[in-house]
Amino acid sequence: MSKISDAISEIQSLEALSRGPGFVNRLHPLGKLLLTVFFIAVTVSFPKYSLPGLITMAVYPAAVFLVADLSFGEALRRLRVVLPLVCVVGILNPFFDRTPVLTIGTLAVSGGVLSMVTLMVKAVLTVLAGYLLIATTPIEEICRALRLLHLPKVFTVVVLLIYRYVTVLLAEARRITQAYSLRAPGQKGVAWKAWGPLLGQMLLRSMDRAEGVYDAMLLRGFTGEFAAGREAKLRPADILWPVVWMLILLALRLFPVTSWIGNLFV
Amino acid sequence: MSHIHMDIENLTFAYGAGEPVLNGLNLHVAEDESVGIIGANGAGKSTFLRLLVGLHFPFSGSVRIEEIPLEKKTLAKIREKIGFVFQDSDSQLFMTTVGEDVAFAPRNYGLPEDEVKKRVDDALEKVHISHLRDKSIYRLSGGEKKLASLATILSLTPDMILLDEPTVALDPRNRRNLIKVINEYDHVKLIASHDLDFIWDTCARTVLIASGKIAADGPTEQIMRDEALLQRYGLESPLSLTKR
Repeated sequence: MSKISDAISEIQSLEALSRGPGFVNRLHPLGKLLLTVFFIAVTVSFPKYSLPGLITMAVYPAAVFLVADLSFGEALRRLRVVLPLVCVVGILNPFFDRTPVLTIGTLAVSGGVLSMVTLMVKAVLTVLAGYLLIATTPIEEICRALRLLHLPKVFTVVVLLIYRYVTVLLAEARRITQAYSLRAPGQKGVAWKAWGPLLGQMLLRSMDRAEGVYDAMLLRGFTGEFAAGREAKLRPADILWPVVWMLILLALRLFPVTSWIGNLFV
Repeated sequence: MSHIHMDIENLTFAYGAGEPVLNGLNLHVAEDESVGIIGANGAGKSTFLRLLVGLHFPFSGSVRIEEIPLEKKTLAKIREKIGFVFQDSDSQLFMTTVGEDVAFAPRNYGLPEDEVKKRVDDALEKVHISHLRDKSIYRLSGGEKKLASLATILSLTPDMILLDEPTVALDPRNRRNLIKVINEYDHVKLIASHDLDFIWDTCARTVLIASGKIAADGPTEQIMRDEALLQRYGLESPLSLTKR
């Protein structure tokens, strides 16, 4: 029960974070969306043994964490379920690729281990980039950016409504499980025999609530587009921020920056 | 004061192929009137209010708001003039914070951001909850939710407000507060409620609905003092009246 309440609070605090007054929050959503996609594409494009080059890509999330005044610890806490899963990516690589490609002191590192770590770093960086986008941009604005990219209205409306209904569904789940546990004292969890009617009730009630929410939206002028309420006018920063970052990321990808830095100390 | 009026003629509506919930209902609401809609459970009060804002189609008969007929193509215009407060505030409030929720309607109607801010300020001020602007919807009490729901529709500055069972789950203090807020609002009001004391405190005119028709219509005092009439339709005199 408390887990459901925690999940609702989590969604709402993330949404509140995205509506913050910070510099990154106020940037145009299209620039942020394109920059995130660009970052992910560049990150994914690194060869499987290019770990040093890939690590330099962390400069972007690090900068956003600093500029947007976001807590890295909080991000890790929020992504605690996803990160272990993405780290599983490539876990079998060490078994298939045993050729040593690197020596650290007396320790030979196989290609499989290196590619596994590279894949993990890629996964963590891309997940972090996604998190930074949603932590600095409300869902309505992300969908507005998608609409500016000519994605069909039906797609963005479905995304927005699902997002709105998740809380409704969770609240309904909490109510129903609370009612159940109050009448099943001492019982841990929900008995398997009760799952059917419980899920059925939850579905019916959620549909009812979702319909109510949709009616309330219609009555207040909802026509399928969420008005985000931010300035539509482009400011120089809206263009400069993504363009400068794209150039930096491209430079990090194309030039051996880590070797240059290393040579400075040798 | 608003100068909006409503004419309803022979209004009939049924859910699907079922029995009519509203059956030939006629009503004229003049400008600036506060009308209480009372009736036993299942009398059709909520359906009636929901129908007036176009949440139920099709129906037979006619509904005209300021000469604008209630049709699918006129819904946007009508919904700009009429604000509807749901019985269940959890359905009414769906954004993150009170301020965001109150801003939802003016933004959807394409008002500039400066105007949206002013509307939000005014609406919150009217229901005396300016201090709740940044509070999460999830953290509101029942009374705060009801006032926030009212603010969400006031931000469109409607000429008429419809309230469906506004006092459900309100404690006496919040109830008193709501009465004060509603009485301060000097536009047309239609309030459906079982709480006859609330109707007594907020409405000069009362309409009693039974079996989808108007069973009685008159000054609130006259209807509320007619114990025989109320009992016939499964209602009881307001407590405050029986004490007097």
